[in-house]
Amino acid sequence: MQAEGAPTAMHYAEPETLAEALSALSAEGARCLAGGQSLVAMMNAGLLAPPVLVSLRRVPGLDAVEPREDGGLRLGAMARHFEVARLQPRSGGAEIVVEAARRIGHPAIRNQGTIGGSIAHADPAADYPTAITCAEAVVQVAGPQGARAIPAADFFHGYYETACAPDEIVIGIEVPPGPPGARAHYEKLMIVDGDFAVVSVAVMLAMERGACSFVRLAIGAVAATPLRLADAEAALLGTALDDATLARAGALLAEAADPVDDMRGSAAFRRKLIPRLLRRAVAEARAKAEAAHA
Amino acid sequence: MLDRIALTLSVNGEPREIRVAPMTTLLEALRTELALTGAKRGCNQGVCGACTVLLDGRPVRGCLTLAVAVGEREVTTVEGLAPPGQLGRVQEALEQVGAVQCGFCTPGIVLALEGLLRETPHPDEDALREALSGNLCRCSGYVKILEGARRAVEAAS
Repeated sequence: MQAEGAPTAMHYAEPETLAEALSALSAEGARCLAGGQSLVAMMNAGLLAPPVLVSLRRVPGLDAVEPREDGGLRLGAMARHFEVARLQPRSGGAEIVVEAARRIGHPAIRNQGTIGGSIAHADPAADYPTAITCAEAVVQVAGPQGARAIPAADFFHGYYETACAPDEIVIGIEVPPGPPGARAHYEKLMIVDGDFAVVSVAVMLAMERGACSFVRLAIGAVAATPLRLADAEAALLGTALDDATLARAGALLAEAADPVDDMRGSAAFRRKLIPRLLRRAVAEARAKAEAAHA
Repeated sequence: MLDRIALTLSVNGEPREIRVAPMTTLLEALRTELALTGAKRGCNQGVCGACTVLLDGRPVRGCLTLAVAVGEREVTTVEGLAPPGQLGRVQEALEQVGAVQCGFCTPGIVLALEGLLRETPHPDEDALREALSGNLCRCSGYVKILEGARRAVEAAS
C-alpha cells in the first residue's frame, strides 16, 4: 500500500559520512532528507517524487546546537527546531534566531524539523530564512568541490531557490551575535496559530540615550526571498523611532515588497500589514533594549 | 510491482517486522502493516495532528515520518499507553470529563499530552495550550479537552 501521490520507486540511503552523502546526492534527481517536515509533506501532496532520498540522520557532526563564546550560535544543519527554541539567547543575533524557532509550526513539527532543511527549502514565508537574514548569519555548504561559506544575504535566490547547488548540502549555520546591547524581536502574523506567516518582521536594534544606534530589519513572506532594505534601516538609524519615522520606513518597505495573492491574503493586504507589524516589532525590540540598560 | 524493503521497528516496546515500499509513511505502516489504527490520516500534511505518535517519547507527525527513516527510535502509539481494556493516565482524564466526541482527534491529543507530561511533569496552562496547539478538533470547542488535560496534570502530580 503506498501513500496517495507517492513516487512509484525510490531508493533510500542513510550514509554514515559526509563524503558518502555527497556521493549519494550526485545521482540524478537525488534529494536530501533532513527532518522531512517539508519534503515528506510535498511527497504526500504529489508535488515531489525523488528517485533517490539521501537521509542526513547518520552523518556525524551535523547536529551541533552550541552557544558561542561571543554570544552567537553555532548550529548544525540537523539542529531540530525544538533544540534551538529552548536556548536562552545571550545576544541580539541569537535572540532573533531562537525567537523564530519558537514560532515554527507546532510542537510535533518542531520535534522533527531542522534549520538546515528549512533554509535549504527556502520558503520565503518560513521563519528561519527571515531570521537568519536579519542576523546576517553565514550558511556553510559542502559539495564535491569542497566547503564554502555563504552569507545569508547571498543565500536565498528566489522561491525555493538557494545558492546551494543540487549536489551540495547545507551543513551548518553560524549566527553572529550582533553589537553589544542589541536586542531582537520576531513578529509573525498568522491566520491561524502554527501556520506560515502572512507577513513576518525580524528586527534587531540597539538604543543609546533614546536614539536608535543600530538596526536591522528583515521582512518575511512579502517577496521571493526575505526582504532587507538599506534605505528603511537608514531611515530609522539615529532617530527616536517615533511614529512618523516608523511610518516612513514602513512605506519604503511596502514599496520594495513584491508580495503574492494567495489563500492567506492578498498582495495589497500584505503591503498594508508591513508598516503595522514593523511598528509592533520595533516597539517590542526597543522595550527589550531599553530594559537591558535600566 | 514495487520493491518492498524489510524493516524492524520498535513499536510500543516490541520489535515489529514490516515490509513496505520505501516511501511509505510511518502512519501508513502503522495502520496498514500493523493494524494499529489509533493514529488517523486527517490531512496527510502535518497540520491537523490526528496522526501524532511519539518517537523516543516526543510527539511527531506519523504522516511526515517515513517508516524507513525511523531506525532504532522507539515508536509509541495510543495502543501502547495501557494494556488492552485499560486506560492510560491521559485517556482516563479525558474520559472522566467527557472530552471525547467522535474520537477522531483523540489519539493524537492523548499522545500530545502524554509527550508533554513525559517532558514537563507540572505544565502550566500556557504549556498545555502550547502542547495542544497542533491538534485540531472539529467536534468540540477544546474546552473539555483542556479540562481533561488539567485533570491529567493534577493526577500526575
